[in-house]
Amino acid sequence: MRNHSLRLFFALLAPTLALAAPNPRLVLPEFSALAKKATESVTITLDAALLGMAGRFLNGDDPQDAATKEILKGLQGIYIRSYTFDKDAAYQQADIDEVRNQLSAPGWNRLVQTRSRKSQANVDIYIMVANNQATGLALIASEPRQFTIVNIVGAIDLDKLHKLEGQFGVPKLDIDVPKAPAPNKK
Amino acid sequence: MSEDLESRLRAALRPVAPGDEFTRNLIARVTKDQGPEANARGARGRSSKPSAWWLSASMAASLLIAAGVQHHLQERRETQRGLEARRQVIEALRVTSQKLNLAYEVIKSESSPRADDEPGV
Repeated sequence: MRNHSLRLFFALLAPTLALAAPNPRLVLPEFSALAKKATESVTITLDAALLGMAGRFLNGDDPQDAATKEILKGLQGIYIRSYTFDKDAAYQQADIDEVRNQLSAPGWNRLVQTRSRKSQANVDIYIMVANNQATGLALIASEPRQFTIVNIVGAIDLDKLHKLEGQFGVPKLDIDVPKAPAPNKK
Repeated sequence: MSEDLESRLRAALRPVAPGDEFTRNLIARVTKDQGPEANARGARGRSSKPSAWWLSASMAASLLIAAGVQHHLQERRETQRGLEARRQVIEALRVTSQKLNLAYEVIKSESSPRADDEPGV
């Protein structure tokens, strides 16, 4: 009887725990109004199935493809919205705030924050960590004529990102994955 | 004179039973003439079965060809989707690396004494 009660308790608790588990997937708005104004827009939505499909078309003998394949291992999704405009202030910070607010949820840690007065380029990099493993990455880059949101879901190995150095122009950032989830610094 | 001519004509045109040789020749000729016709009739009779066979075979071949074409088109669509996914992955990594580079440039400028940036890591 007691065993039965425990099972019932855990059965009721499971959905609550699932809801409480941090989700590394951000809800990205359509930005349809901004897309109309943009001179160039990049919208990428790659779920696990499409990533798997892409992986099958990467040539393991090619160094760049092999490195890309390595990065894709363990990833569950890549979502990108990037808009370029032909004049300054074509978008409002409020357009990005909807996404930025999601990054204040538990689980997300700001890894890098850069503010440049000279170029007015701001880049924030957030990472979600579970069991000493990065499970999600979010990047928000805002410049006077461009803003970009990157959301990578899945087991991200930052060392593998480093391996891309010189191939996609990825720099060596010397960023370390936090060993344990820290309180949100935002 | 006329009676003599008449009797001579009657004698000449009297019914004469055909000889055995004539009968044999006639039967042989009839048999020979019936041969090809009989063969043709036989061939027509046999050809009804092959036409049904050809119909079935051509239908089966059509089905196989249709299935093959369908499979080929499906494979082609899958290939196109895969190549498009591959292109998007490479584009995604390019955009990501570009923005990581932007962050890196700002961080790097921190070390420059003339920089007025405010990076924080």
